[in-house]
Order: sequence, then C-alpha cells, then structure tokens
Amino acid sequence: MPTRQLRARGLAAAALATATLTLGTVLSGCASTPTAPSDRNPSLAAVGDGTLAAGRYDLVVHGMSCPKCISNVDLQLKRIDGVVDPKVDMKHGIVAITVRDGAAPSRAAVAAAITDAGFTLAEIREVPR
Amino acid sequence: MNQTAIACTALLAATPALAQEMLNMPAATAPSPGVAIPRVQARAFLFEDSQWLLEQTLRLEYGIARDLSIAADLPLQQGFFDAPRPTDGDFGLGDLELNLELRILREDLNAIDTVRASVFAGAELPTGTGGFGGDSVDPFAGAVVTAILGRHGFDAAARFTFVTGHGMHHPIFVTDTADDYANIDLGYAYRLYPEEFGEERVGAWYATLELNTAWTTGGEHEVLLSPGLLLEAPTYALELGLQLPISQDLVHAPDLRFGLLLGLRLIF
Repeated sequence: MPTRQLRARGLAAAALATATLTLGTVLSGCASTPTAPSDRNPSLAAVGDGTLAAGRYDLVVHGMSCPKCISNVDLQLKRIDGVVDPKVDMKHGIVAITVRDGAAPSRAAVAAAITDAGFTLAEIREVPR
Repeated sequence: MNQTAIACTALLAATPALAQEMLNMPAATAPSPGVAIPRVQARAFLFEDSQWLLEQTLRLEYGIARDLSIAADLPLQQGFFDAPRPTDGDFGLGDLELNLELRILREDLNAIDTVRASVFAGAELPTGTGGFGGDSVDPFAGAVVTAILGRHGFDAAARFTFVTGHGMHHPIFVTDTADDYANIDLGYAYRLYPEEFGEERVGAWYATLELNTAWTTGGEHEVLLSPGLLLEAPTYALELGLQLPISQDLVHAPDLRFGLLLGLRLIF
C-alpha cells in the first residue's frame, strides 16, 4: 500500500478516535447538566449538605452488582478521614459505616466516594445508638 | 495459509475485562480513581495441522478519574507454526496496546441492577520483538454497553481498527493486504452462585457465553462461540474459558480448532 495512502488512513483513524472520545465527553456532559456541584453528582444531590457526626450510618447504595464492588467501595470510603469499618450488604444495597469520635466527614465527601467507586448513593440513614 | 485467522483470534483474545465481565470482550466497567487492576490471561490456540499459539497477556488498568480509565496490554507469545513465518517455540513480545475508556452512561436502577455504557479509543504500538510485532501504529475506537439485571449480565461491544501499515494485531502472521477490521461481540453471564447476595463476603460464580466475531474489510471473517466460567471474589477473579469456531471464512490462515483460556485478575 502506498505510503501516502497509509498516512491518510492513519490520519482518518486518529480523527475517528478523537471524535469518539469527544463525542463521549459531550454525551456524558449532557447526561448531567453542569450547574451546581450537587447537580453534577446525583449522589450528592440525594444526601444533601452538611457533615456526619460520630456514630453509625447506613448508606443506601445502588448498582453494586458483583463482589468486586465491595472492594471498590471499601477503597474509596477508607480514604475519608473519620470513616472507619465499612461493611457492605449487597443484598439490600447497604453500606454500614462508622464515623469515629472527633471526626466530621462531610456528606459530600461520602457521596463523592460512592460515586467514585462507580455507584449511586441514594440515601444516608443514621442508625440509632 | 491464512494469517488472518490467527490475527482475528488474537484480536478477540486481547480485549479488556473487569468486574462481572465477560472473558473475551470489553465491558463498560472501570476501576475507580486511583485504583489499579492487573490481569494476566494465558491462552492456547490449536490450529489445523497441529499448529499452536501460546499467548500470555499482561494487562494493567488504572482509574484516572471518576469515569475515565486507561489500560495497557502487553502480550508475550510463543508460536509453533509452519508458515509463513516458521516458528519452533520461539518467544517474543507482541504489540503494546493502549486504551483510553470514557464512561458516558451509568444508570443504577436499584441495589444490584445497573446499565452502563462507555466509548474507548487507543492504538496498537509496534513494540513487538523477535518477529512478533507489527510495523505500524494502528488506532482503534469503539463502544460497549453493559447491563446487569439480577443474576443476568449482558454485554455488547463494537470496535474498529485501522491498520495503517502491514500486519494486524497478531504480528507473526502479517497480512499483506493490511485490511482494517471490526470486532463485534455479544456476551451473556448468569450468576450460578450465590442465588442472592447477602451480608457476608462471598465469591460469586458465573457461567458466561460469548459470541466473538472479527470481520476484515477484505471480506474474511471469524465467528467464535466462547463458553466460560468466572469466579469473582472481592479482591480477585479467576477465569476459565473455551473458544470454538462456528464460522470461518479465511483465505490465508489455518483454521482454528479451539482456544483455551486461564485468567487471573487482582484489585488493589
């Protein structure tokens, strides 16, 4: 195949790849209208602002469909200062966490962690002591 | 001897995988930010006339951002072929493949069910050694949709690769025509165990069935039926699979008899 033709095909291929990712970016942007932070993150929109006091909470999480999801959730939640001992109940879609004394992690941080893990945080329920 | 068959087979074998994913095709799942997932897959292909190809692919996937991940695949190959490039157990590195994946849809329906879609693009780089590499940078792009509904998982993926030089993905058996090619894959996974997830951390067993196809612009094609078994635990996954040709229209390569797969994935 002539070099010129190969070069043209290479350019066409690169253009297609760029267009694919650009289209993907546009489509993903359209899926969540970029206004306030809570609008960009459905999890955050569901759980509101503020912080979590020391105690136990149940996070209602959607989309955890496989055992590996547990590791993803664990990894992200353990990065939040003050959140310890996450336990995942996949059947009911509940992640139980404990906020240790003296810590006050924000609801936004918890929501972001669940979203980063690849799932949707639908609700935060405080567990009565 | 048709080199395209082997090339197509290797193409099918080198596509990415992750959580509750098929063994031989992409999935619209990705590691979360800062998480790396290495995977090793060993494959053996038997062709007509007792010709063999052994391939071990090391894959590393890394979450760059919430919906963006990058993956690198590097195959190590050993060939026992008569022609057109005779090999007698020679080893060589294959072409490095870089893949950038962007998730464009994530719709979590309830505790378990989810629908996701991604687009991806990348290139195969001519990094092969010992005659196992191609001579060109071959860009590719594609899309994949994954749905998990209860015990059932569904995947559909399409990818198109531009061959800018000589040789397809599989570098030993270079095609002179340098045809571009498309991969179209369909997959179904059924969770055998547990029937329902509980509070305890248990591994899950899945039976998988895929239809892996490759089509060149030169008119050749290969269609493989690929049953498999997947054990997925929170920190690792084991894969066992078989690939059986159900349709091959190949001009310059030996027909594939079957392929075997043994794979391991880890999560850090």
